[in-house]
Amino acid sequence: MQTSTLILVLLALSAVAYQLGRGRALQLVGGPRRRRDLHSLPAYYGLLTAVWCGLPALVVVAGWQLLDDRILTALVVDEMPAGTRALPPGELSLVLNDVRNLVAGNVAAESVTPAVAAAAQRWRRLDALGHLGASGLTLAVALAGGWLAWRRITPRLPARNHVERIAERVLLGCSLIAILTTIGIVLSVLWESIQFFRLVPVSEFVFGTQWSPQLAIRADQVGSSGAFGAVPLFAGTLLISAIAMLIAVPVGLFAAIYLAEYASRRFRTLAKPVLEVLAGIPTVVYGFFAALTVAPLLRLTGERLGLEVAAESALAAGLVMGIMIIPFVSSLADDMITAVPQSLRDGSYGLGATRSETIRRVVLRAALPGIVGGVLLAISRAVGETMIVVMAAGLSANLTANPLEAVTTVTVQIVTLLVGDQEFDSPKTLAAFALGLVLFLVTLALNIVALQVVRRYREQYE
Amino acid sequence: MDLERQQQRQTVGDITVPDPVICCRGVNVRYGDKPAIRDVSLDIAHHEVIAMIGPSGCGKSTLLRCLNRLNDTIPGAVVTGTITLDGQDIYDRQQDVVQLRARVGMVFQKPNPFPKSVYENVAYGPRIHGLAAGRAELDEIVQTSLQRAGLWDEVKDRLNQPGTALSGGQQQRLCIARTIAVSPEVILMDEPCSALDPIATARIEDLIDELRQNFTICIVTHSMQQAARVSQRTAYFHLGDLIEVGPTERIFTNPRHRLTEDYLTGRFG
Ligand SMILES: Nc1ncnc2c1ncn2[C@@H]1O[C@H](COP(=O)(O)OP(=O)(O)O)[C@@H](O)[C@H]1O
Ligand SMILES: [Mg+2]
Repeated sequence: MQTSTLILVLLALSAVAYQLGRGRALQLVGGPRRRRDLHSLPAYYGLLTAVWCGLPALVVVAGWQLLDDRILTALVVDEMPAGTRALPPGELSLVLNDVRNLVAGNVAAESVTPAVAAAAQRWRRLDALGHLGASGLTLAVALAGGWLAWRRITPRLPARNHVERIAERVLLGCSLIAILTTIGIVLSVLWESIQFFRLVPVSEFVFGTQWSPQLAIRADQVGSSGAFGAVPLFAGTLLISAIAMLIAVPVGLFAAIYLAEYASRRFRTLAKPVLEVLAGIPTVVYGFFAALTVAPLLRLTGERLGLEVAAESALAAGLVMGIMIIPFVSSLADDMITAVPQSLRDGSYGLGATRSETIRRVVLRAALPGIVGGVLLAISRAVGETMIVVMAAGLSANLTANPLEAVTTVTVQIVTLLVGDQEFDSPKTLAAFALGLVLFLVTLALNIVALQVVRRYREQYE
Repeated sequence: MDLERQQQRQTVGDITVPDPVICCRGVNVRYGDKPAIRDVSLDIAHHEVIAMIGPSGCGKSTLLRCLNRLNDTIPGAVVTGTITLDGQDIYDRQQDVVQLRARVGMVFQKPNPFPKSVYENVAYGPRIHGLAAGRAELDEIVQTSLQRAGLWDEVKDRLNQPGTALSGGQQQRLCIARTIAVSPEVILMDEPCSALDPIATARIEDLIDELRQNFTICIVTHSMQQAARVSQRTAYFHLGDLIEVGPTERIFTNPRHRLTEDYLTGRFG
């Protein structure tokens, strides 16, 4: 049975179990009119039965999904000729790949060795058997679970409390999945980074000013020294983020002040959705806006003024990234400004302050921690932004403070390092993980500080 | 019925005083289409404490906020009638609202110190109005204001700490100090003690009595005892009407209007 069919069947069984459980509870006390004799509402008995029917069976399905490939591989390898089994892991996995391809129908049976064909044959048989077994087991577990729960129903059974506990566990499970995934990702990035730092010293990575990850394939190749000094990338990231913040912070902040303090309600209801649309534009759209519109425009303007502007420049990428971040800054600042209690404004007006004095000296002052937090979050977005810089900032790792030149960023380099065929243990590929780790640490630090600042601010006006 | 009602709503007692700072004549306020106070006429004398009492929503705060035009900041609020301060119409086009509010200060229900230091809270008004020529003069204004608000001894060692770190009663006295730092003629107080404990309340009440030497004070209060303790005249409001005005003692011992009596005897409130 297909897994999706199996899950549908399980759902149906659970629905039936719900009805049966509910019915049994009612029947035990003698009909709906006596349902007060039950500890819990009848629906809870139904729910409990349904959960016992569905949940353990789902665990079986999930377990099978996770394990079947490994079990099948082990069984198939076991049957292979001793010569094949003795192959080193790399070559063995190539053989297994052939087997899988044959099973999936990607290659014709004539083009493989008889051993592989035999293994594929076996694979198919085992797979079919496994599916049958897993389906049977799942259904058995579902029926047994449902039946046991149904049997245990008595009028005094605190079904409501049981359901509560199960709900709590399910919620806990979901949050564990999120947490474990995060930890897993962090650990794997950390692990690969350590591999990288075995090949390239940390000091060279952090302080080196030469970034040229191309490795020489032939000894006489020029320009492929394989230098991994990340300073130009950090500098490029910093430059572009700085330009972006230079645009986004003033514009976003002033827009927020206007919206929160001056704008009429009509204008507000009009402007807010527009800002939200701006925030909803996919970054790749901003990216080609930057590459196809802004960059040529800058180049043209530069020519008029007699400036040398590269086709791909930090300025173009930074400008567009700034525009992208404006709604982010303005909506956060707007929230913070609106959260300043009216009583503070009244107090200031009551002392004879004008509106702009009140905003400058009281409202912004009160909202400042929140706004700072918002700006930090915005910076961490700018640092992590990829699409715009990939399209508009260029690939050349120049160490420069000139915004008119092409620079490259950490994110762009990660993309270029991982695009294309690479050996997984070459320093070039591993460098991407080290860069990812740096990026992760920086944004993590920014976010922690920002959240701390925002939280402290929130407590102030509870 | 209509006539009777009208008569019932007519203000009882003498609304005029010989030497008024503020005169209200036929003041109406509505928020959008909703009338909040109707046809209120009332004089406020120099150096008196006048208490405004009445059930919630009867328009006490609304009238108070007319006196320094703080209602201007509420969209939809419309004020008609005339209010004069020392004979000048404060709703006149020529009137500078900023100046008016420096002359008519306000203390609010909930202490609302700015998120600044104690010193900066008090220095705020003098700074924006340019009342002090130099740092020394500003220091002096801050000190005398805090002294008059009876807060100096408690905060003189922590002038640079945030005003929000003080206790509720101290915060409210800080707000009073902040208000008197710009030397207003009139101080409006909107239930200044409703967020405070009895001891802090008693301190503020003593303070109000002292401040009467230099300022005219209009205080809105929910507590009839407080009105009796601090005020010389009392005005009773009911559903947007000024029902009765008179010397505090007379109002409390011998109310003339049935609604006033009902309120004072606790039949509603
Ligand atoms: N900002 C406002 N917008 C609309 N209606 C208001 C506003 N402020 C007060 N009101 C209404 O005006 C009436 C008087 O309110 P208020 O002066 O605050 O009463 P009090 O201070 O005596 O309790 C109430 O009915 C109240 O609902
Ligand atoms: Mg009020």
